[in-house]
Amino acid sequence: MTSSNTGLPNRRQVLLAGAVGLAAPSLLLRPALAVTPAEIKAKGKLVVGIQGDNPPWGFVTSAGKQDGLDADIAALFGQELGVPVEFVPLEVNNRIPALTTGRVDVLFATMAMLPERAKVVQFSKPYVANTIVLIGPKSAVIKTNEDMAKFSIGVAKGAAQDTQVTKNAPASTTIRRYDGDAPSIQALVSGQVQALGGNIFYIQRIEQARPGEFENKLEFQNLYNGACTRQGEKEINAAINAFIDKIRANGELQKIYDKWMKVPVHKFPDSLEGISFTAS
Amino acid sequence: MNYKLDFTPVLDGLPSLLTACLGTLFLSLCGMALAIVIGIGGVVLRDSRIKQLRWLVMAFVELIRNTPFLVQIYFIYFALPLLGVRLDPTPTAIIALGINGGAYAIEIIRGGVQSISKGQIEAGLALGLHKAQVFRLIVLRPALRAIFPSLTSQFVLLTLTTSVASAISAYELTSVAQRIESDSFRSFEVYGTVTLFYLVISWLMMRFFGLISGRYFSYPVK
Amino acid sequence: MGANEFLFLLIGLKWTIALSVIGFVGGGVFGLGVALARTSGIPLLERVTSGYIAIFQGTPLLMQLFVVYYGLALIGLKLDSWVAVSIGFTLHASAYLGEIWRGSIEAVPKGQTEAAKALSLNYVSRMKDVILPQAIRISLPATIGFLVQLIKGTSLAAIVGFTELARAGNIISNQIFQPLLVFGIVGALYFVMCWPLSLVGARLERQFAAATR
Repeated sequence: MTSSNTGLPNRRQVLLAGAVGLAAPSLLLRPALAVTPAEIKAKGKLVVGIQGDNPPWGFVTSAGKQDGLDADIAALFGQELGVPVEFVPLEVNNRIPALTTGRVDVLFATMAMLPERAKVVQFSKPYVANTIVLIGPKSAVIKTNEDMAKFSIGVAKGAAQDTQVTKNAPASTTIRRYDGDAPSIQALVSGQVQALGGNIFYIQRIEQARPGEFENKLEFQNLYNGACTRQGEKEINAAINAFIDKIRANGELQKIYDKWMKVPVHKFPDSLEGISFTAS
Repeated sequence: MNYKLDFTPVLDGLPSLLTACLGTLFLSLCGMALAIVIGIGGVVLRDSRIKQLRWLVMAFVELIRNTPFLVQIYFIYFALPLLGVRLDPTPTAIIALGINGGAYAIEIIRGGVQSISKGQIEAGLALGLHKAQVFRLIVLRPALRAIFPSLTSQFVLLTLTTSVASAISAYELTSVAQRIESDSFRSFEVYGTVTLFYLVISWLMMRFFGLISGRYFSYPVK
Repeated sequence: MGANEFLFLLIGLKWTIALSVIGFVGGGVFGLGVALARTSGIPLLERVTSGYIAIFQGTPLLMQLFVVYYGLALIGLKLDSWVAVSIGFTLHASAYLGEIWRGSIEAVPKGQTEAAKALSLNYVSRMKDVILPQAIRISLPATIGFLVQLIKGTSLAAIVGFTELARAGNIISNQIFQPLLVFGIVGALYFVMCWPLSLVGARLERQFAAATR
């Protein structure tokens, strides 16, 4: 790019560019219609935001197919509506923006139900449970949150483990944030960080790469994952809640649990502090 | 969907965003310094008498210029530890930027050196100038003058490239922006504002290089 | 690394090529418009396009992708993510190509325009038949250089969450935990795409330099 960049802009151009940049969105912003199940049926497809690199929740197989627990549940919800599902694999950090800006209709994307998230998106009832943990070398002593200060800790940017590690670790702790689950695990495996915030399934993946070296050290929080829709979209939220009740009752959820989690379906709470399951 | 723009998280995060600009500048300046060193060293080796060395430099230039920076920085950060080289994010970013910029600098500087014809040097010596004077006045200054615009755009590009270093969690503007984004979920507002920051940074950088150019290279050519 | 994993990388490669082609073709069409507006002699048009170019050349491609990706959705356009990313690359390419071609149009000697005007050719045929054919020739090395830059730039779609070659590499490297091998192969695939183009660009540049000496 040596020959293309020689026309240096002057100050007026920069100011003009800045003004255009700031003014453009406010001129163009207009609200779109809320998505309803009827609209999705009319459109003929359900666009689902999902994770692409976080097995067994949501991942893309080497054959290029979207798979995982979230994928199975989303596919089942698509069946319920009678439309095929189109998966949009998202980075951890892009999930909520992808929903709020209308890129996807709904998130089945390992979305831990957290109060700060509930301020910007509408959670459904929980459909699966997860635990956020700290993984560290077997040789290291990490018994309390304070012990974390001595280690460099990797997390996926914006994931529940990011929130938990940031909240619980002493302020002096070195926390490194990566673009997604895969790079954060990569960072632990290649020794760029000494410990890693993750979920209950991380350790299985790490075992494949560096067997016998790591273990779960701390448990931060038991979390429930729910589906997310945009706030104020009552119909689709109600449809998802009815769907979750249905698959819990008819054993479909247990089948999915058997396939991926290999435990009985968790007992889900009827309410969570600061999180409403139904759109108002 | 009723999305209302809300810049409050951006305003709250303004101090940390402004400090992060320093991180971006630091990465850029260190990357540029390394790129110049690699550039000059590469030009010397490129014209060395040892064939293997010349070949090595050419291979380096082609390899770096024809692969993406993201892959290069991932390679250094995630793959080199397997070979026993483990560097923190910031040094990794500086080295990756320096190597990337260096490959372009080699070609740019080489072009500048080649633009000085032998006849000019001989003329200088014939006029009774010292060798040092010939080098400074007849080789270095005109060569620098010739390559300065290309070098400037390359360095501005290098500054913009620092944003990719966020992928390995180096401290700079983009990674701090992503931090604020994941706390507030206000991606458009955060990234829009940060884009303006970058615009100002690259404009300041061009002004700075423009001042240098005006100060040192504004002598008449003909 | 098995055949499956390699196949997955090739699927990523397919997207890298698709994004590059769309970005280059779309950027070419709009870039021509930008270049013509930039050299139109109409102050307002010239100022607007030079501001447009300044934005894209003064900000990181990664930020441009983020802003376009989320911004398009905000203005009510619900597009597939590959379309949104493609639009990002198209805008980026149109600014860079517009600037390259502006330079080439201005590099065509003024006498050509004057001669064409003296022959009372109108703007369209002056551009189409006289100026642009020469400008295209002048611009070829830089245009090819930018194409290489664009192909490499598509790797940043990975950070937006789009599974092209670089992200496919990341995913695979996390499945088989051989980053050295995987990133080596990914780098090699990019190299195989870019190097021939770079060589052609360099040769054209030499030819051109020789012709004008």
